[in-house]
Amino acid sequence: MALGFAIGVFGVLILFHAAYSTVQYRGLLKITEEEFSGPPFNVVTELSLGLVLCMWAALTVPGKFLSIHPDSEENRIVSLPANLDFMIFNHRGKVFPVEMDLKLKQ
Amino acid sequence: MVTKTEENQLNRLESQVDNAGGGAWEYLCLVRKLKLRRSDKVLKHGLSILNNPSKRSALGPEEWTLYEQVAVAAMDCQSLDVAKDCIKVLRKKFPDSKRVGRLEALLLEAKGSWELADKAYSSLLEDNPLDQTIHKRRVAMAKAQGNIPGAIEWLNKYLEIFMADHDAWRELAEIYVSLQMYKQAAFCYEELILSQPTVPLYHLAYADVLYTLGGLENLQTAKKYYTSTIDLTGGKNTRALFGVCLCTSAITQVTKGKSKEEKEGSQVQSLAAKVLEKDYKQRAPDKLPQLTTALKSLTLSS
Repeated sequence: MALGFAIGVFGVLILFHAAYSTVQYRGLLKITEEEFSGPPFNVVTELSLGLVLCMWAALTVPGKFLSIHPDSEENRIVSLPANLDFMIFNHRGKVFPVEMDLKLKQ
Repeated sequence: MVTKTEENQLNRLESQVDNAGGGAWEYLCLVRKLKLRRSDKVLKHGLSILNNPSKRSALGPEEWTLYEQVAVAAMDCQSLDVAKDCIKVLRKKFPDSKRVGRLEALLLEAKGSWELADKAYSSLLEDNPLDQTIHKRRVAMAKAQGNIPGAIEWLNKYLEIFMADHDAWRELAEIYVSLQMYKQAAFCYEELILSQPTVPLYHLAYADVLYTLGGLENLQTAKKYYTSTIDLTGGKNTRALFGVCLCTSAITQVTKGKSKEEKEGSQVQSLAAKVLEKDYKQRAPDKLPQLTTALKSLTLSS
């Protein structure tokens, strides 16, 4: 968990560094008055490395993923709620003896 | 809707609480969330929390919901004095509350004084004519007095206003099934499936009703709905598997004398039979020979 977090921070720092080098590269090109076609090759590798590290961290840090299938073993509906709005009280349970010690103390 | 994980959690908490292992409050919250009817356990453990002043003050404002839950559970277990005490406490705390008024009328219903309860509900309805729970309690009262046609009439009037209430549709379907009015019950289940198509138990109940009605078209539709139940539950619903086998054999019996069209239905039946046998071998191996003979007789009679 802490490792994933550290790797995530590291990946973000790499991305920032790649952005800074691209800005510097553009400044250099402005001095030499050339066109900016794209960042240099090593910045592109740095970007892809940052992407991989950040994605890995984003998948591992939040924890266990839950299933979304409605028919998976943990998500399948097993029973419906008992219709409590229509509950009636004169059922056969009325004849059971009431436990005498069940009282609400004030 | 109770999913498998929630059921496992409930069973675990129940066994924990029954063996005096604590966790009563979580159990009560889970029962309230899943809307289950476990009145004896709720009463016992709810009272153990309420009678203990330190645990009661630890609940904070949730204390009053617990009083309400324990009052209803006490009425279900016929401990009417406990219910009366709980309602008195609630009435002292919330003197002008309609919710407490409903509980008092519920207590009158539980005592069996139907006219007083009816008067209480009508007076509550005058103040608030669109209160769904009071309309539903009137239906329940009619059902409790044995006046089933009256209950159906009230419920139909309720559903004309509140058409989206799927609990009421379910109740109406069950009443029709108890009176063997299967066509009307099928209509109610169709409404349920339209509003909540991902709940497999409605498909299962609809298929059961269609299978009971009989006739070739109904049997074919019933088989389709049994298979959709199997699809939605990942093949774990034993009743749907049995339903598929029975439907297929009933269909072949009905079409025996008619034209010999080769149908693909036997594939579904053999697959369902295989899954059933595997399931029985795993869970109840001593009943496996009975199952195999029953399945063989189904395929032989077709």
